[in-house]
Amino acid sequence: MVVVLLLAPVASQPKSSLLAVIVHPERTATTSIDELAQIYLRRKRFWSDGNPIVPLNLPAGTPLREEFSRSVLRQSEARLAEYWNRQYFYGILPPATLASTDAVLRYVASERNAIGYVPVSEADDSVRVVLRLD
Amino acid sequence: MSTAKPQERPTGKRCFSTWAGVALALLLMARPAAGDEEAAPSQPRPEGEALIDADTPIGRVEYVAGRGLRLGKTRFTLGGFSTVGAEYLEGGERNVALEGVNFFVFFDPTSWLHVFSEIEVEHLATLENGEHGIRSDPEVEVDRLYADLGRSDALNLRFGKFLTPFGRWNVAPAEPLVWTTSEPLIVEETFDETATGAMLWGAAFPPGSTLSYSFYGTFLDPIAPDPDAQPAGHSAGAHLEWARSNWALGASYFASEGPGNGWNNLGGLDVLWRPHERVELSAEALVGKGPRSDRSMWGLYLQSVVEVVPTLYAIARYERFDPPARGSTIDLVDLGLTWVPVSYLRFKIDYRIADQSGERAAPGLRSSFSILF
Repeated sequence: MVVVLLLAPVASQPKSSLLAVIVHPERTATTSIDELAQIYLRRKRFWSDGNPIVPLNLPAGTPLREEFSRSVLRQSEARLAEYWNRQYFYGILPPATLASTDAVLRYVASERNAIGYVPVSEADDSVRVVLRLD
Repeated sequence: MSTAKPQERPTGKRCFSTWAGVALALLLMARPAAGDEEAAPSQPRPEGEALIDADTPIGRVEYVAGRGLRLGKTRFTLGGFSTVGAEYLEGGERNVALEGVNFFVFFDPTSWLHVFSEIEVEHLATLENGEHGIRSDPEVEVDRLYADLGRSDALNLRFGKFLTPFGRWNVAPAEPLVWTTSEPLIVEETFDETATGAMLWGAAFPPGSTLSYSFYGTFLDPIAPDPDAQPAGHSAGAHLEWARSNWALGASYFASEGPGNGWNNLGGLDVLWRPHERVELSAEALVGKGPRSDRSMWGLYLQSVVEVVPTLYAIARYERFDPPARGSTIDLVDLGLTWVPVSYLRFKIDYRIADQSGERAAPGLRSSFSILF
């Protein structure tokens, strides 16, 4: 029974959460998982037009955030914490968070420099989807 | 915790000066998005649980452990770290010390300007065997003070006093960031810890990689130099790094005015490899002449870090150093354990084994507790 429970996490995940990476509709560039990782690690900080990229996260511990981290950043929480400690030593902080996917959607729709992620089903015409993750 | 309430429309006839004061107070307290709350998107919050979160006249003031105190609309953030250490060395030295408190002050008024300072208050309290009572001789030092300007990932300018980008260890040597209580000899003794001048730096991102570079030169009088290790009057150098998801390879060069009329040259290689999520291997090697020597030297270290159980790490480091001054080659081994219960706390204990005694080798037991705040 314990083995089953240990193996269960994949089966007991919430219903399929295909992610859409979204930007403001005026942004025309596409992106890749590699580039998205660079953005969310604050290594890539500027759009091609010289404006600052504003990456948005959901709160730590939320299933969608964990799925995004697993798919894009591919590092454990301990490794990421260590990475951000090092960045803090230079005065660089992790991406800011918004409390819900609705808040992410509304912020990205209004802020030209923002980039975020929401379930595909929630992405509407107010934003532009630049990448889909599953 | 408080949140700004929607503004109320003024009603009735009031004295103009009274309403001007009320309007000014409301403006100072108001969120950027006023008016209809539903139409205004929420504002992003800092990552992490805020231990302090208050609306103030300067905006939202938030403190997250290990990520500093954000001072609202001022664009300032305050933070830092502190360390308490203890030594029990084979040579007879015994001491416990609050080694210092290092304060970070960073200011980001725009997206293209980042101002950073690290100010250390050191020698706060030391208790040594053979001495009566606690000795306190606090000194304030400016460890770093620089401005970064740039609107591109590929090219930025840093101006001021910054850590010399030679190798991997020296660019992030703070106690809460490293795995042992002591730093390798090749980091401690061979090149200037800081440079006061200017640096061009940036990165490119080919698929799956990061290529980063820095080119720097010192041409200003040093800011708050270490009296025990005066930096070279002039120096220049470069560091290049190629990194992928689980490894990074770097090359460094440092040229400095030597004791005579010539220039000394120092070259190095560094590598970081994570073959497994719970294993980290790193190494650095260098050869050449440093800023205060007229003889060549070489040295290296190899370090492994293994997460034996979650939050507990075993560390082993081997060093070999052939110093420029008269003296024999030194071989050192450091074995230690580091416990990281949460990301901003670090407890370390390590034992150094050396093939010789003396101040440079200093074999014995060391421990420390450090906190990022």
